[in-house]
Amino acid sequence: MVEFNAKKVAELHHHLHSHLPSESALRVKALETLLVAKGLINSESIDAWIEAYTEDIGPKRGAQVVAKAWNDEDFRQRLVQDGSSAIDELGYLGNATGHLKVIENTKSVHNLVVCTLCSCYPFSILGIAPAWYKAAAYRSRAVRDPRGVLAEFGVQISNDIEVRVWDSTAELRYLVLPQRPSNTEALSEDELASLVTRNSMIGTDRDLIKKEEVKA
Amino acid sequence: MDGIHDVGGKQGYGAIDVDEPDLYELGKAFNHDWEAREWGISRCARTPDINIDWWRHCRELIAPIDYLSRPYFDTWAQTDFATYVDGGFFTLEEVCSGYSNLGSNPLDQAPPKTMKKADAIIADRQNTCRFDAEINQAPLFSIGDTVITNQHGFSGHTRLPQYARNRVGKVHALNGAHVFPDLSAQGKKTHQHLYTIVFETGALWADCVNKNDKVFLDLWETYLSINGLSK
Repeated sequence: MVEFNAKKVAELHHHLHSHLPSESALRVKALETLLVAKGLINSESIDAWIEAYTEDIGPKRGAQVVAKAWNDEDFRQRLVQDGSSAIDELGYLGNATGHLKVIENTKSVHNLVVCTLCSCYPFSILGIAPAWYKAAAYRSRAVRDPRGVLAEFGVQISNDIEVRVWDSTAELRYLVLPQRPSNTEALSEDELASLVTRNSMIGTDRDLIKKEEVKA
Repeated sequence: MDGIHDVGGKQGYGAIDVDEPDLYELGKAFNHDWEAREWGISRCARTPDINIDWWRHCRELIAPIDYLSRPYFDTWAQTDFATYVDGGFFTLEEVCSGYSNLGSNPLDQAPPKTMKKADAIIADRQNTCRFDAEINQAPLFSIGDTVITNQHGFSGHTRLPQYARNRVGKVHALNGAHVFPDLSAQGKKTHQHLYTIVFETGALWADCVNKNDKVFLDLWETYLSINGLSK
């Protein structure tokens, strides 16, 4: 039974600091070995989750959501009104998206998502978060110097654009809906999705047409 | 708690690794195999009576030197070790020696089902968590109300970051009543109205660059007051 005893757990961490192997790979191996030996887990199921989050669940899902919103005004409205219910139409509801809020970039607004207290992330539509999203440098600076952070990512935001930073302090998760690039009227939904970067859905990328022009 | 995890606005952490590739564009999700294993472990099993708030608190309780220097998923593994020991599933001796002393600590339960990828995809959807509930109390605040956040933190788990304490903001949205993390991390499940509060950056930082910029936080009702009266 969980005791919810913080003092005990803090002491445990000090023991673990001294007694666990230093190498991360050995620590995780020891954890898996113990869980398997205790009959709490089997290694094939671990493989299954890794495959699911490598091959199927990832930012391609988010990009499909964005492309559909660009292409289907009714869907866009449902998405902005209730993100979780709208992504469920595509079968993408899941881990950490039970309360999904979709925030729209406009000509005059740019949105940026962070979690300063841990690293909350909408896993079922963006997959595993990039390392920088979980690092102290991004988490500390996004709320204090968002324009500096964006500049570091190569995104220049003029002073007449309002930057909105969303700190994921509760169980709401945020997905940025980037602006649709111009001259994309003829593109299919899949082609549109291919323009959507993972970073644009976190907010560390903005002008998707530029990337397309660079590619062209 | 005023822990090492509460990094919002703290200075000195340096540059962001903006050149990290999007692994998914390379057909991968993880940099290292052990990170993938830890992710899979976290999806497959947890101590049965744990909740997300207690798990997060257990991660916050990692010694600061480890929290800052060990890789992200490594801190997940250490948190898992701590929660399994705390829950009575492993002994500290087993963890430190890396082998399972089944003779003295058998687990009486059905063996786990073997999952395939398709099962994991279905389970990911089926296990979608919601944290809201209907409560009898009406919300104290309405959209547009000016509120002030608590001056002091809470020594247990809490989700009011240091940088947003004793700050004036406005109610941007009501999100219904959600599980209150401060009590949930003590094993007490209660619900409380959750608000999205918008702060002008000028109200948060003396050195803010653009006063039009805003920071939004999702905060529970007891983190907030109006007219200086604690609610």
